[in-house]
Amino acid sequence: MASAPNLRVSGVLAKGAFRITGRILLALAFVAATTFVFSRLIPVNSTTVGFLYLVVVLAIATAGGLVESTIASVAAMLCFNFFFFPPVGTFTIADPRNWVALFAFLATSLTASQLSARAKRRTNEAVERQHELERLYALSRALLLTDPTRPIANQIVQNIARAFEFSAVALYDRANNEIYRAADGDVSAIEAKLKEAALRSSSFRDESSGFIVTPVRLGGQPIGSLAIRTVSLSDAALQSLLNLVAIGLERALAQETVNRAEVARRSEELKSTLLDAVAHEFKTPLTSLKAVTTELLSDPVYELPQHQRELVSIADEGADRLSKLVTEAIQLARIEGGGFRLNRGMHLPSALVSAALRQMKSFLEGRQIKVSVPMDLPPVWVDAELIQMVITHLLDNALKYSPAGNPILIDARSDDARVSICVTDQGPGIAEVEQPRIFEKFYRGKVEPHLKGSGMGLSIAREIVRAHGEEISVTSRVGEGSRFCFSMPIAQGSGSE
Amino acid sequence: MSTGRILVIDDDPQIRRTMRATLTTRGYEVNDGRTGEEGIEKLRSGPYDLVLLDLNMPGIGGIETCRMIRSVSEVAIIVLTVSNTEKDKVEALDAGADDYITKPFSTPELLARIRATLRRLPQPPDQAELSKLASHGVEIDLASREITVRGRTSHLTAKEFDLLSYLLARPNKTIAHRELLQAIWGPDYGDELEYLRVFMNRLRKKIEPNPSKPQFLLTDAWAGYRFQIPKKASDTRS
Repeated sequence: MASAPNLRVSGVLAKGAFRITGRILLALAFVAATTFVFSRLIPVNSTTVGFLYLVVVLAIATAGGLVESTIASVAAMLCFNFFFFPPVGTFTIADPRNWVALFAFLATSLTASQLSARAKRRTNEAVERQHELERLYALSRALLLTDPTRPIANQIVQNIARAFEFSAVALYDRANNEIYRAADGDVSAIEAKLKEAALRSSSFRDESSGFIVTPVRLGGQPIGSLAIRTVSLSDAALQSLLNLVAIGLERALAQETVNRAEVARRSEELKSTLLDAVAHEFKTPLTSLKAVTTELLSDPVYELPQHQRELVSIADEGADRLSKLVTEAIQLARIEGGGFRLNRGMHLPSALVSAALRQMKSFLEGRQIKVSVPMDLPPVWVDAELIQMVITHLLDNALKYSPAGNPILIDARSDDARVSICVTDQGPGIAEVEQPRIFEKFYRGKVEPHLKGSGMGLSIAREIVRAHGEEISVTSRVGEGSRFCFSMPIAQGSGSE
Repeated sequence: MSTGRILVIDDDPQIRRTMRATLTTRGYEVNDGRTGEEGIEKLRSGPYDLVLLDLNMPGIGGIETCRMIRSVSEVAIIVLTVSNTEKDKVEALDAGADDYITKPFSTPELLARIRATLRRLPQPPDQAELSKLASHGVEIDLASREITVRGRTSHLTAKEFDLLSYLLARPNKTIAHRELLQAIWGPDYGDELEYLRVFMNRLRKKIEPNPSKPQFLLTDAWAGYRFQIPKKASDTRS
């Protein structure tokens, strides 16, 4: 497999050698023709012949390269000597002045060959640079116009192969560990080299296959590598090409990130719409149910007989419970989806607690709640609605798991960076083995399995606190009660306001 | 005797039935509409004291209905909705609602909200007190609920008017949030800071020359609000 490129390379070399031999023969033919014309057909003096040889050598140097013009110079010098300097027909020279003339001729024609060849080389280089520039320009244009719906790395390779007419191109993208190829697609021989180049950030030249393997860097970091098989490409052009590839890959990455974010946003939107619809569909019938039961229970004119009152109360509590379950299920789904954004602001801990207490007012009747939240605690940087939700869930939990006669304590304290709010009950407490599990979804304490509840409240509370980058914890002793604490960050710069 | 005329706008027939039954026994005169469009049409044909408005309805929807009612009428509006988020509350209040109740609600709670919304200031500001303000370029017409500030006249809703006159009666003094809420809405209120924020914005739009840089209705962070009589007008002597 590897021999195929080998043959091709030696083929190219053979073709080059053949061409230069032809050109040398042609140059010699010109010198011979000049010699023949001016020694046999149009006799002129030796000075004129010298100039005519010079003209021929210059013409050869301009049209050809350094090799043929140098050979032509030497051949012309020998012919000049042999055919024109007396004694004619020999390489000996009688007049020493003619030696000077002969060497002056040789020096002039060699120098002229050199100069002409150099000028030609410059021109060729300039033309080549121009070609490279045109190709780089074509490539950059093509890269800008890549179709974002198709893999961009693949399009980059295709475009490189097309713009530079390389016989083979392969691009290794480190981001997804994939190799993209174009033109002569067989790059299995240098796959390992590609990965190595990207890993070590070093270049290789694979002589046997004719591949140049170079890392593609962006901001000093190798993000992939490029292998191209080419006869000639200037370092500057290669560098520019690599830069273009780096930019193209980076763009592909950015594009992908944007796409992914867009998909996530859409699915989040859909989920949110669905949840709203579900909430509405469940709560609308609950609303009339609840309005009826509460109306029956509170109607001042027709008071219900005891038995009916009890039955309506059961329906009323059922409606409450169902409503709470729907609310919690939606809260949990929304919070777990991660799609909710914290709407942080500066809030006083005491205000958060009193707002939560107000929300819970109807459940707190007949219970003893001790609130010890100093007014002078610094404001915290939180989403007030969500933190109120945490407090209500903790309160709800305390109410559920402690006897009606036992007080519930809400207290708060602060250190340098955060304020902690704690809700303490005097319930049965939580066994140590159970403590790590109580924040899990749908987990309910073993002590009072008959208690109603969804098992979602503490889980919601934990998710909210975590979303703030803070912690919630429980300390509890069986027989004494439980204490739930969570922390909130103190608002920056609150001291100055 | 009717204690008030209430229009219930809700697409759910069960809720309309329940509301009608409950409110009628409390002495309210009740009419209803199935959509925002129908509700607005009913409002045109007769005077109402209060609208109970569902937010989630087909057609133009609750928020837009609220906005449209508010643009032509000062009738009291209580919004009924399943969402309890502050964003939705503020949106409804911004659209011109006076109060907000979350479904499902209990009848006593709804009745309390209706009473609070229809409730007027126990003591409207003293006429003598108000006439003092006239010299500072603030004129108030108690009967028509119109206020003229430096030549610009605005018509206020009942709650806006009560809130403004409560502050006006105590010029240059910071009134705490809780005090304002309990005075204007009733004793059950006290933590609905978003109500005050929205109503203050509504008032500022009506009376301030530049609502984003208020010179009369000032916010005292963490504490409350205050009606400031600008120094220039009062410092005629000193």
